Amino acid sequence: MRCANKCSYTRKMEQALALPELVALGDRVAPVLLAHERTLPVAEELAELFVEGGLVRGRILTCTGLAATSLALALVAPVVATGSWLGIVDLPTIGLDAASEFGLPLERVVAVNSEHGGDGSRESDDRRAHRWPDVMAAAIDGFDVLLARVPADASPSSVRKVATRVQRRGAVVVLLGDPGPATCDGVLHTEPLGWTGVGNGHGHLQQRSVVVQASGRRMPGRCRRELMLPA
Amino acid sequence: MTEKPTHIVPPRIVTVWFPDWPVTAAGFSADIPAAVMSADRVVARTPAAAAEGVVIGQRRRQAQRRCPNIELIDHDPDRAAREFEPIGRAVAELSPRFDVIEPGWISLAARGPSRYFGGDKDLAKKLLAAVAPDEVAGCEAAGGRPAGSGPCDRGVVVQPGIGIADGRFASSVAARLSVRRREPVMVEPGEAPAFCADLPIGWLQTLGESDPELVELFTRLGLRRLGDLAQLPVSDVIGRFGHSGVHAHRLASGADIRPASTTDPAPERRLDQVLDDPAAQSGAVIFIAKQLADELAGSLGADGRVCTRLVVLLETEHGERSERSWYRSAGLSAPAMVERVRWQLDAWINLPKGSDQELTGGISLVRLTPDEVRSDNGSQLGLWGGQSEADRQAARAITRLATLTSESAVTVPVWRGGRLPADRYQWVPATMVDLDGRARAVSRAGTGSGPSGPWPGALPAPSPASVFADPYPIELFDEHDEAVTVSGRGVVSARPASLRLLRGDASSGWRPGPPRSIVAWAGPWPVEERWWEPGSHRRLARFQVVTDDHNGYLVVAEKQRWWISARYD
Repeated sequence: MRCANKCSYTRKMEQALALPELVALGDRVAPVLLAHERTLPVAEELAELFVEGGLVRGRILTCTGLAATSLALALVAPVVATGSWLGIVDLPTIGLDAASEFGLPLERVVAVNSEHGGDGSRESDDRRAHRWPDVMAAAIDGFDVLLARVPADASPSSVRKVATRVQRRGAVVVLLGDPGPATCDGVLHTEPLGWTGVGNGHGHLQQRSVVVQASGRRMPGRCRRELMLPA
Repeated sequence: MTEKPTHIVPPRIVTVWFPDWPVTAAGFSADIPAAVMSADRVVARTPAAAAEGVVIGQRRRQAQRRCPNIELIDHDPDRAAREFEPIGRAVAELSPRFDVIEPGWISLAARGPSRYFGGDKDLAKKLLAAVAPDEVAGCEAAGGRPAGSGPCDRGVVVQPGIGIADGRFASSVAARLSVRRREPVMVEPGEAPAFCADLPIGWLQTLGESDPELVELFTRLGLRRLGDLAQLPVSDVIGRFGHSGVHAHRLASGADIRPASTTDPAPERRLDQVLDDPAAQSGAVIFIAKQLADELAGSLGADGRVCTRLVVLLETEHGERSERSWYRSAGLSAPAMVERVRWQLDAWINLPKGSDQELTGGISLVRLTPDEVRSDNGSQLGLWGGQSEADRQAARAITRLATLTSESAVTVPVWRGGRLPADRYQWVPATMVDLDGRARAVSRAGTGSGPSGPWPGALPAPSPASVFADPYPIELFDEHDEAVTVSGRGVVSARPASLRLLRGDASSGWRPGPPRSIVAWAGPWPVEERWWEPGSHRRLARFQVVTDDHNGYLVVAEKQRWWISARYD
């Protein structure tokens, strides 16, 4: 939208003033950094799911379906491989072997459990629900990418607070499980088609083809791709 | 066996070393337990804290446990550099040419001053008198002394050590020993190899010349003293340890840290910038220094060289000058050069009013001269050991998260190894792990980032994306709805056809969920672990199972029961 505006404005200005140097100068001093310029790298097979060709900073994505965890790991692995840190909030079951097979360097992975109280014990749900947005905010400040889960009792206001923080800081959050009241910029739904390599009592799991469907308010069009996980 | 090292005798060097300088710079006196922290570790502490058992490298928690009333303060290299300036000036009175290796650590060529003042002993006495006047006068450490206005008005918490020896390495060691012996340590000319031979090999690590892994390896190989290493033929050392090994070998045999470069760098290497409009803001000067440093490091780097000694000259419009030479054996990167300029400028600006070298005008000239250049062997790291901004941010976030939740709630993975996915990694509290060293160690050895070697009996890739620390109990049936069993020899009683998840727990009874039919399966892969140890003996069989909704599971049979231990999702 903004880009279209700028282009028509540019054209008009060129016609009116016939001063291309001035236009070029205007472009150079323009402070606007378009959203598609603030992207983090994604794997080649997944790039076509995104119009911008990468993970745009400041966005919240959700992975759903039966291959959600693998897809989420495949999404974040190239980002971590280029030097960013990955925060994992409230997802104790993430398989690190799988992560490392997706090319994710484990030395830059930090897991946080927001349900642990200050004294190490579990506390009342109320305290915990209050702590979740704070933990998320601190994690967003420190790590470029996050894998997270929205607690079942999260309030819309706390989710909104987190979303604002994500936008301001320019992190990317990938949610797993039920997003609850969170409004996601993109939803990546996975549907596995079947495993190869395993038979009736022989072989072992090798590869699986998965259909990924991208939708959501920042994902124009309904993009459907069939890909192999792990590739 | 012994190969006489064919090096030139290195120049004689005096090293003045102030132990725990950062804590002195922070303004603590000796009798107050205090420590300076950097990245959650003690980098310097007062003698009072040391007496309580606070050790350099300790974590905040450990330090507080040893000494509950300890005062902790964050490390500020700028402050340390600023407070060091008066001492630098005092030394400059005796010898104009000296290198600041870091605040609290000075080295200077001994030959000239020593001749002038009548020998090494007198030079040491002079230096001590210049940098710590009250020490020589005989009063003990300066606890509670009111701040005066002399060059060292803070009082030095610990008497500085002075070491004189051939070469930087021997001299640095001598200075550190001198702190313990409370008198200057002098190594006679030509005695440096013998002096070094008796030292424990850990000195290489203490002086930051070799990394801990290499020193540990030397120790494991039985090379406990520098002399042991020096006795090895240099060709063997280079074959086994490469460049870093040769470097350690050279130090161990009493040669200088770097072979002295015999040719001066080409004159065009000197870079300066004359400011027509003198800069009154330090930010502007730093900005210019940054441009110069980038250019200098870039042009040296293009030739595969790196600057180890940099002379920074700053001149004001009124003709006042500040010239310092900065040394770093690992080489100065562009940010490191800028840092040095900032330290020097900051210290100059903060000189007490009325001193003779006070800064009165704007800076009109910045000059960077690479005084000593050597070939870059690729060991160059960033200023803080190659830590990126992302790493620092993450380290801060970890501290913050640990205070928000608890220390045990913020964890990082550590490779443990095992045949079941849940065994392979362990989550360790992040505050217990040295994240900086870890990143480097991981990239080098491959530990932590994944299996470094084959793990016999582990399942082949791909690995499950969800791993359950507490497995889910299930029931497995064959086509005739009879429970499937695995015999002691790893034989399955029948083909599994369906599985049912069990809910509840053992005490209140299990409630079976709806059955799922199995479309494909593989296994069993039996595992028998630690059969020699009755307590931790495990015997189980693993299966991979795909249900009709295309979900893959890792199913384990153990003690006549079935569990889902991981999911391929």
